[in-house]
Amino acid sequence: MTTAVVLRCWRCAHEHPATPFCPQCAAVQLLPPQTDYFSVFALPLHPALDETALTQRYYDLSRTLHPDLYQTGTAEEKDASLKNTMLLNRAYRTLRDLVARGQYWLELQGETLGKENNRVPPALAALVFEVQEKLAEIRDAREAGTGEVGQAVLAAIRADLDGQMQRLRTVLAGNLAQWNDGQESQELLAQLKQLLSEIAYLRTLLRDVEKESEVSWNA
Amino acid sequence: MERIVGIDLGTTNSLIAFVDGDSPRVIPDPLTGDPLLPSVVAFAPDGQIEVGPEAKALLADQPLTTIQSVKRFMGLGMEHVSAEDHRRYRFADESGIVRFALPGHPYTAPEVSALILRALRDRAEAYLKESVHKVVITVPAYFNDSQRQATKDAGRLAGLEVVRLVNEPTAASLAYGLDKKEEGLIAVYDLGGGTFDISILRLHTGIFEVLATNGDTRLGGDDIDQRVAERFLLAGLPEAVQHDPHVASSARRVAEQAKRALSDHTETQLRLEVLEKNVRVSRTLTRQELEAAVDDILTRTLAPCRRALKDAGLESREIDEVVMVGGATRMPLVRQRVGEFFGRKPLTDLNPDEVVALGAAVQADTLAGRRTDMLLLDVVPLSLGIETMGGVMSRLIERNTTIPTSVKETYTTAVDDQTAVDIHVLQGERELVQDCRSLARFKVPIDPQPAGMPRVEVTFMIDANGILNVAALDMRTGRERSVEVKPSYGLTDEEIERLLEESIDFAEDDVTHRLIIEARVEAETLLHVTEKQLQQHPAFLVPGEEAKIRAAINALQEAKSGEDYNRMRDLIEELGTTSAPFAQRIMDTSISEVLGGKELGKV
Repeated sequence: MTTAVVLRCWRCAHEHPATPFCPQCAAVQLLPPQTDYFSVFALPLHPALDETALTQRYYDLSRTLHPDLYQTGTAEEKDASLKNTMLLNRAYRTLRDLVARGQYWLELQGETLGKENNRVPPALAALVFEVQEKLAEIRDAREAGTGEVGQAVLAAIRADLDGQMQRLRTVLAGNLAQWNDGQESQELLAQLKQLLSEIAYLRTLLRDVEKESEVSWNA
Repeated sequence: MERIVGIDLGTTNSLIAFVDGDSPRVIPDPLTGDPLLPSVVAFAPDGQIEVGPEAKALLADQPLTTIQSVKRFMGLGMEHVSAEDHRRYRFADESGIVRFALPGHPYTAPEVSALILRALRDRAEAYLKESVHKVVITVPAYFNDSQRQATKDAGRLAGLEVVRLVNEPTAASLAYGLDKKEEGLIAVYDLGGGTFDISILRLHTGIFEVLATNGDTRLGGDDIDQRVAERFLLAGLPEAVQHDPHVASSARRVAEQAKRALSDHTETQLRLEVLEKNVRVSRTLTRQELEAAVDDILTRTLAPCRRALKDAGLESREIDEVVMVGGATRMPLVRQRVGEFFGRKPLTDLNPDEVVALGAAVQADTLAGRRTDMLLLDVVPLSLGIETMGGVMSRLIERNTTIPTSVKETYTTAVDDQTAVDIHVLQGERELVQDCRSLARFKVPIDPQPAGMPRVEVTFMIDANGILNVAALDMRTGRERSVEVKPSYGLTDEEIERLLEESIDFAEDDVTHRLIIEARVEAETLLHVTEKQLQQHPAFLVPGEEAKIRAAINALQEAKSGEDYNRMRDLIEELGTTSAPFAQRIMDTSISEVLGGKELGKV
């Protein structure tokens, strides 16, 4: 999955592991594009992480890598700092968010949710049915011009969905914490996939509720 | 190290600033001392172009050919031009990019803005006594890609290298010196002449991390003036008179003055007189009436505030400081509404007109490599995506993603021997292509092969200016494929080249103009210093010396009002030589006085 890459410093030709700075001459190094997001932060390859440490490292790395600091530098320095910063920003955005991190972990296991996966997850079927029903009622009432109750109902639905989301996130955090010693676990993998697809579905549902909420607010 | 200066290219006024030692300073108009340059450009029928106060003075007389608030047209197409603007200006085309019909030839918004940038550059060069090439220009945080690109084009057309575009609220936070604060969450509320921005930032020992930004690029102090003009000045007049450009322009000016007056007073007098149209309106306007009339405009600024907080995952009460930027935030009602929304008194210590330019100068100083203790981490304000089947926008980069950032997409072909893939890039938050802003279209060239065989990887990159760059790689051959991006509402590279070439015809004039200004500034400084010495140290003069120095002063005074810079240079030198022995005697004494404990006067 990740192999030890050896970089050759553009300035002093020193060969070293993939780090943003040459250990010998301290010149900024272009990280290989396939560098995994955990390695960018020199964090262990594990999906549960210390978020405070992650943020601190993000700031520390930005302070040394950002292209603004290399405006007067050589072409190599400019290129390396720009590309490294793009990788750093992407890595931070992914790892700081529990769900995005879960999805990234799934990708590292060679799996994807798949864009065709639009089926309602069985565990959510009852909830989805109920919410869609209520949304349809509100929409009809609004179109008929009798939709004053809409906002209260929508707020209640949203609170319910937020609660569900919170619960799923807690389970997801638990799942990510259980990945031990890099051992492949079919059970954990299956649970991860299921959780992520439930979360994705819940998000779509929340978006629908919010859209209706905005429309009926303006009406 | 080459100096980089900061420019606030505003809707109503523009400013230029630099870092003097440690602190940023705005460069004032050499004659009036005004730090603001009105963003107004007037085109006289004889081809004469005026920028700034001279142009503003022509607004009432030639409203159709005096461009005000050109920033509102940056990066837009004719379909975005409002009915009000159609009454106010004459346009050269009915579709495509906005071109004003003006004496000489049609001008695009970047060309008009370039004239403002040149005036600012001249001001800076005269003040700093060195040439200025590199600049940082601020833009509203909520500016889309086309508007940013148009701003960069304006810089290029003015002969400047735009090292960076910085978001206005972010620049303002730099000026506030909030970096001295170790940690904290701040909101920057920026109500400018024509645009509104809200940015939420997290400070972390010198790092300014923008968490979210939102806004409205067509909402500002201008709307307040317009409302006051319509409701209190024009309402009773016949329809045709209301829409007369001269009357409307005068009414807006009266309204703007009243708005300002009501920030300090509870009532003011409105007086509109356009005798040739038989218009005479006079009445009292109270602060209360003004506030009631514009309350809904201010309410419109709160929705973006809510969205920005939500995107940042914060509640309004978690914000530690609220910074106010833009002239319109002088209105007591604005401060009150914002104070209520965030539950704290907003910071208003710095001049809201200057704070953005000062911040731009600070960022310019960092980019020049002169300071390393602070860093901006800004975001892209709007999601970026591409058109997919069925007219749906597929998002590639979400709004509020930290820049620079990039994303890669792989494309293949649908039919045999297809030689290109068409890509349509969009920006916006809506799902349908028709509801998003079209940024650009481009073709990725592909070697003819059976359908589905080719693999082309396209990298969409948003640079630190918030501007899109595209690169394509043929994955089979590993060859970079060049893509020609056709901006939907902008100038192509060729068009800019052509405009630059055309402007070379005028370059001679420009150089002369600059030399005259430089010589004038130098003459003024020398005249001032010599006069001061004559008055303060008459005892150092030897008999007959004063008459000779006075003669040289008079000659230079006279030459200064002319256009002959060579003569000015000669006379500057002559005055210098004539007064040198006198100055030397003063210097010698001053130095001995310093040794005696007195300070050396500025000579």
